[in-house]
Amino acid sequence: MAIRAGKQNLVQAFTAKDPGGHGDAVKQTTEYIALFDNIIHRTRFPKFIIVVSQELEKGCVELFEGLLQHGRLTLEKLIDRAKSGKHIQENSNIENAVRENLSKLVHAHFVERCPAIEPVLAPPSEDELAAKKRASRSLKIAAGPDIVQRVLEAAAPMESKRFLFMSDENCIDSEKAEASFVDVGEKRKHSLLASDSDLGIKEEVLWRANYEEFLRRFRHKACVENVRERLDDGAAIALSSMLEAGRRLESKLKTETSVSVSINAIYEEAMKAEVGRSMTLDDLRDYLTLLECQKGADESYSIDLKSILELAQNEEVESIVLKKYGKDSYRIFRLLSKEGHLVETDKISDTAFVDKKEAPKILYKLWKDEYVYMQKVTVMGNRQSQFVLWKVNKATLWKNVENDMYHAALNLSLRVAHEMEQGKELLSLPVEKRVGTLGEKVNRLRRIRLVLEESLSKLDDAIMLFHVF
Amino acid sequence: MRSRVVEARSFEGRIAIGGGLEHFSTWGMSKRKRPVSTGPSQDLSEHEKTVYDLIRSKRDMGIRSVDLRRDTKLFPNPNVVDKALKALLAKNLIKQVKTVQYRGSKHYMATEFEPSAEVTGGAWYNEGVLDTAFIDLLKERCLIHISSLKVATVDMISDAIKRSKIFHAECSSQQIGEILRTLVLDNEILEVKSTGLGEFTCIPIGRVCFKLARKPGSAKEPKAYAMASIPCGVCPRIEYCSPDGIIKPSTCEYYNKFLDF
Repeated sequence: MAIRAGKQNLVQAFTAKDPGGHGDAVKQTTEYIALFDNIIHRTRFPKFIIVVSQELEKGCVELFEGLLQHGRLTLEKLIDRAKSGKHIQENSNIENAVRENLSKLVHAHFVERCPAIEPVLAPPSEDELAAKKRASRSLKIAAGPDIVQRVLEAAAPMESKRFLFMSDENCIDSEKAEASFVDVGEKRKHSLLASDSDLGIKEEVLWRANYEEFLRRFRHKACVENVRERLDDGAAIALSSMLEAGRRLESKLKTETSVSVSINAIYEEAMKAEVGRSMTLDDLRDYLTLLECQKGADESYSIDLKSILELAQNEEVESIVLKKYGKDSYRIFRLLSKEGHLVETDKISDTAFVDKKEAPKILYKLWKDEYVYMQKVTVMGNRQSQFVLWKVNKATLWKNVENDMYHAALNLSLRVAHEMEQGKELLSLPVEKRVGTLGEKVNRLRRIRLVLEESLSKLDDAIMLFHVF
Repeated sequence: MRSRVVEARSFEGRIAIGGGLEHFSTWGMSKRKRPVSTGPSQDLSEHEKTVYDLIRSKRDMGIRSVDLRRDTKLFPNPNVVDKALKALLAKNLIKQVKTVQYRGSKHYMATEFEPSAEVTGGAWYNEGVLDTAFIDLLKERCLIHISSLKVATVDMISDAIKRSKIFHAECSSQQIGEILRTLVLDNEILEVKSTGLGEFTCIPIGRVCFKLARKPGSAKEPKAYAMASIPCGVCPRIEYCSPDGIIKPSTCEYYNKFLDF
């Protein structure tokens, strides 16, 4: 089961070394960590496929779907899969097509080499152990984010190899590979399939979908759409071009600032899209200034992506407050969110133009539902006065919102399943019988499914905004 | 449009702001009249004098009738206090004012004083209640001028409102600024800094200005995002909801309404 889950990239195995006590031999055990994010990414496969289909042709999409279905495959397996059900005369064409399509997918970074099956994790240093003991004296920490990160880093192939595809061979010589590894004090075990021992030890390269690339594109898209909503299409095109020009150079997903890119590279990217062709270089400069980009030497630009994403998160939460509590609450919440510090009740009432009698009631309601934090302050003077101060505690609130989003996503899925179950008989009717009242009921059921699934897709984008980006 | 006169406080003194086209009361009155030097106390009984002196000592804060009874130590005889108050009101030495904090109870003040902002609620309150009608009117005018100017500073909007002569008296730039701030909180307008380029050409670089948050012709209300668009996102019972609980998605009333096409 663990091996199957590993093939689907849902768990990562590693070899843990226990140094033991004095005189004891070093113990090695195989352990597993669950990759919860990868489990949730499976629900995003249709979105990944859409991205691939927008950029590459049908053959690449089919290959990619195969990788999603099976988790990880070698080139040989991909070729076999493509050949099944076809005439034998087409085999060489199929083989070439698969190589070419895989090459395109790897070049676009949609596909990557799999990480090591079971990397060896060096035992933590004494300092790390001491720090861990201090932190978790009374807590049982099974696999905190720290160890997950260490295992993933140990398993990850070198960046230079990750997207290396050699079209004329499906294996790499492990001796060459060993020589090119950076020594990090850990020995990496390589998989799996040894080919003919007469040829020496060979490893077959396993390929899998590169989730990070898709998440990066979704992250960029979220930023661009937010800018389009707040500013205009021109600013959105400028941002989109800047991010596109620098995408390959991003070293990690959650970069706070975009990669610095020259104005010429941005302009070149803008010209590729039809909508950007009417933009002049000066127009582009104006938009980049409007976006408050940081301008570097040689007229290169970068932008604070973290701020844009924070704005998007704020808008999501403010939208909930407006719908749930009304306009006065919305104004008060936005005021506190912008201020970022404690504000006294009367000051809130005056600035947000909410009646002084109503403001405390609204604030109390928001406090009860954990949207705001309250603090009472007593001031001793001639008379003792008590003031009530309020603020938005983003760290707590954002976590609550994220939890509610997951809950809502589950509810949407359950409701879709329930509606389809209820309408099972209707949906199994032959087309010719779906007329009149029955036809209307079938159409209604379809519409329900569409609405719920679209809502789930939009909600998933919001979940990524809070959890992934 | 309802016309109303609102008495408000500003740096210049009292301002009368007319809402609409009707005539309004004068402005430029000083904050408080000079206290009458000749003593009305000669015409007052002992109880009336005690009550009057106490009320007068509270100046522009005034005093509630409840507190008055307690402070004058005439509490055992509440009728005496009421009688004194009635007499003082008839002689126009004191007046009743509406307060924002204690709307239900009676609040008294010496006639020569004007109630402080703490009592009235400030410039935007009328008889102890926030004057939402007038505020909405001002907001509407600000939006119209911003829409026509595309991008504008506080002073530009303030000038445009003055020139329009919709209101008989002037709203200060500070007051317009307060209205604009609340429009920002409503997400009707954005507060931006001029870059000196494009639409900001006429505005010095770095100056704070305002533009519409949404394109003209788009929906009036701010967009509903993902969570706000579904029942669960705004559900008051989500913490009690579970797949097999009494409240569950398969039987949820909010979902039934949401899917009731």
